[in-house]
Amino acid sequence: MAVVNRRSFLRRVSGCACATLLPSTLFLGERHAAAQEAVQGLDLSGKLRLADVALSLAKAQGASYADFRLCRYQTEYYEARERRLEESSIGFSAGFNVRVLLNGTWGYAGSPLATDDEVSAATVRALEMARAAARVESRPFVLEEIPAYRDRWDMPMQTDPFLISADLKISKLLEINEAALKSGANYATAALGFVRDEKFFASSRGSAIEQTRVRVLPDMEVTVIDQATGKFASVASLAAPRGAGYDYVQSYDFVGEAAKNAQNAREKLAAKPVEPGEYDLVLDPTNLWLTIHESVGHPTELDRALGWEANFAGTTFCTPDQLGKLRYGSELMTVIADRSQEGGLSTVGYDDDGVRSSGEEFPIIEKGIFQNYQMAIGQAQLIGRQKSNGCSFAEDWSCFPIQRMPNVSLQPNPQPCKLDDLIGDVRHGLYVVGNGSWSIDQQRHNFQFGGQLFYEIRHGKIAGMVRDAAYQGSTVEFWNSLAGLGDKSTYFLGGAPNCGKGQPEQSAPVSHGAVPALFRGVTVLNTERRDVA
Amino acid sequence: MMMDEAGAKALAQKILGLSQAESCTVSIDGGDDRHLRFAQNRATTSGAPSSRSVTVEAHFGQRSGSASGTDLSDDGLLALVRAAEDVAQRAPENPEFMPPLGPQTYGPTTAFADATANTTPAQLAAAVAPVLKDAAAKNLQASGFLDVGTGFSAFATSKGLFAYDRATSVLHTVSARTPDGTGSGWAGTTHVDFTKLDAAALGSVAIDKALRSQNPQPLEPGKYTVLLEPSAVSDLIGILIGDEFDQRSADEGRNFATKKGGGSLLGEKVFGDNVTIYSDPADPLAPGAVYSTDGLPTRKTMWVEKGVLRNLQCGRYWARKSGRAPVASPTTLTMEGGTTSLAEMIANVHRGLLFTRFWYIREVDPQTVLLTGLTRDGVFLIERGAITRPVHNFRFNESPVAMLNKVLAIGPTVRTYGEEGAGLPVAMPPLLVDDFTLSSTSDAV
Repeated sequence: MAVVNRRSFLRRVSGCACATLLPSTLFLGERHAAAQEAVQGLDLSGKLRLADVALSLAKAQGASYADFRLCRYQTEYYEARERRLEESSIGFSAGFNVRVLLNGTWGYAGSPLATDDEVSAATVRALEMARAAARVESRPFVLEEIPAYRDRWDMPMQTDPFLISADLKISKLLEINEAALKSGANYATAALGFVRDEKFFASSRGSAIEQTRVRVLPDMEVTVIDQATGKFASVASLAAPRGAGYDYVQSYDFVGEAAKNAQNAREKLAAKPVEPGEYDLVLDPTNLWLTIHESVGHPTELDRALGWEANFAGTTFCTPDQLGKLRYGSELMTVIADRSQEGGLSTVGYDDDGVRSSGEEFPIIEKGIFQNYQMAIGQAQLIGRQKSNGCSFAEDWSCFPIQRMPNVSLQPNPQPCKLDDLIGDVRHGLYVVGNGSWSIDQQRHNFQFGGQLFYEIRHGKIAGMVRDAAYQGSTVEFWNSLAGLGDKSTYFLGGAPNCGKGQPEQSAPVSHGAVPALFRGVTVLNTERRDVA
Repeated sequence: MMMDEAGAKALAQKILGLSQAESCTVSIDGGDDRHLRFAQNRATTSGAPSSRSVTVEAHFGQRSGSASGTDLSDDGLLALVRAAEDVAQRAPENPEFMPPLGPQTYGPTTAFADATANTTPAQLAAAVAPVLKDAAAKNLQASGFLDVGTGFSAFATSKGLFAYDRATSVLHTVSARTPDGTGSGWAGTTHVDFTKLDAAALGSVAIDKALRSQNPQPLEPGKYTVLLEPSAVSDLIGILIGDEFDQRSADEGRNFATKKGGGSLLGEKVFGDNVTIYSDPADPLAPGAVYSTDGLPTRKTMWVEKGVLRNLQCGRYWARKSGRAPVASPTTLTMEGGTTSLAEMIANVHRGLLFTRFWYIREVDPQTVLLTGLTRDGVFLIERGAITRPVHNFRFNESPVAMLNKVLAIGPTVRTYGEEGAGLPVAMPPLLVDDFTLSSTSDAV
């Protein structure tokens, strides 16, 4: 699918297993340490012992491959609405997953109870599921060789957010809302979420890998209303979720943005409606990252091309026969997949198949030509390639790893080019900032994207704000209309904490780097008109 | 990991006994799933995940904080309770804090079937095997998902409330595609009872649609009379009631139900006379959970009655502030059906379209609840009272608020399922709707 949900980001974050707070005082810190200890417990030898219970049993029962993941998630979530704290919560979620390949059929089981007996029982359940499914397995899965790794990878981070006091975080949220209210907002909501993601992976191929990542999930939104007309307008923050420490929160001017957004919301409420028609669009990277996600990231997932997502997330127009041939976009378009980018939500040392991913960048689109799919294990040979490129991920300990996006980023223009240069090259256009609504068909052709703010461009200059706009297009046609690109000084890393895919549906965090870009002749709708065509 | 009522009650009491807060609530939930996923006429994944977790919310005056965890050992629970208390003590006072509820009376659980709880992995494979066989015999590629789940939830407060509920669910969705990628059909539903599932029949619907939808031709976008099958209806109604029926945001001036000049449209005629939508936890087609947020009992709640807006979801604080009774969030959703059969509806359409299901629906304008999304897996042209040919998919830009004023005919209500809706058990009828706005075509099949 894609970035999940029409509901507010705030509720999404709150709804996930987010949350855990390590208060600043030593006393409270000790008490939380006790809580952590209760859900963590195991050192590496303990993890290896549990893994051995699963892997030995799976092997003894005839599995050709098995892996074991032990995962812990520490989460923390705060949300302020106007001048009060609406939610303050912490969470600890721990559990394990056993996956077996038995006679070419997958089976798995997961449980929160990480004891020898439960690991053993879960392995039996996984084998039982595989045996049952074998009845409808017409083409056994074959896995490529995977090197065995014994390694530990920890996300580089300056300030661990779980060591920052709750007081500071709560004060920050209330300060943000105060700034918005003082600047004319009728309503303001601000939230901060934090996730520590710790995984231990062991496989029958001999790997034993420990990894830790931390994610920071900020959000805020201001709303202004006009009671006389019954109209209202909202503006959301442009702050992206990141794989980062608390220093990211400290470095971002949320307070200044909140005040500015209150003014922007008033301007939006009073702005003139956009005239529908064909426009040249300058898409700010705060808008473009999501267009990249939907129209480049998802279409180039191999499991979709193989038909494995046909019943839910869909298939793709990017069929394997088009590898190396399809002109996806103009020469300016190069899109790189990586799991190494600083701040990336998909940045990690090894994927959830145990395939090394850090430092293994590959081009998805190179100078406009489709070059590579994203792959998990057991897929590459189906299109004549050798091995997975490290794009497997499971949402948590209860899930089966499936192919998910690495960081997928549009590369900057090697020639100097600033935002103003792009705007200056437009006679009749729109400059689009931030993400509004987003929707794309199940084969990734037809899309419609909104934005937070739309500015009219006339004769190379910004000519004021307009409202109720959305742009519609078809992926290949759209990317071939790419006519201008910002340079590396304009690069911005956007992202989503909640890309949905799979059945049962799993959520994945993913980042997308982008630069401002100019697209010629794109259809723009006025979404307030009933005849939006 | 299932827990019976006695076990959940004992665990809740144990946790409440550990609390040193002025008041406290405990939520416990868990369950066991078994599922089989298939694609390209083969099994792709099959699994049996189990879950169990506890959330403790501690209160000191108007301060509150919560902690959730999966460690149910004595040490783990004690640490969790203390963590929640720490969080609460660090939080500033919330003037909107509402103390926990005392004992409530709940209706009986009706959404549980032993047959589902006892379903074996072999039964799952046996259920989908005929679908794959039939698809292969017709040179089609079948994909789908069959999931059976057994779950429980419990909620307790230090004021003496204890609620327990358990449910079983069966979800089965099937897609069939032609190998050349020009035809695609889908069918899906949910049940409480596994014995009610006719997987082969669902598969037949998807297969039939795949065959009939081959080689679709483009049709101009615009405003069309459309026949929405129940799955498509469930998506639009689910989003409307689940996300937008909110009393507070209406009163605050930021909702479709906001009245010009202030207040909400509650009690006013907002939709057509033929529209009645309600939630009933004891609904025979789509039973739901017996309690909702804060342990509020769910009762039969009329959202829309003959077009009049009767209720909006209303939390306890806003209810107190605005002098209303709280209105629990829905745990199930039903739209009252009519007597017009699908065949009769088709027979009455001079020129229109039939939609199987929707995809990727997002809100474009919260003021009007304008939604955009796409059709998928079976779009057919109706001409002079008969389905004549398959056509390309469309992107729509339409508001369910506007749509419910343009309903021409309503079919019988059935239990159904939509990927895009509210995520609740739903029972919906097919609807014949006038002037549905299709803004562009899509090449996707």
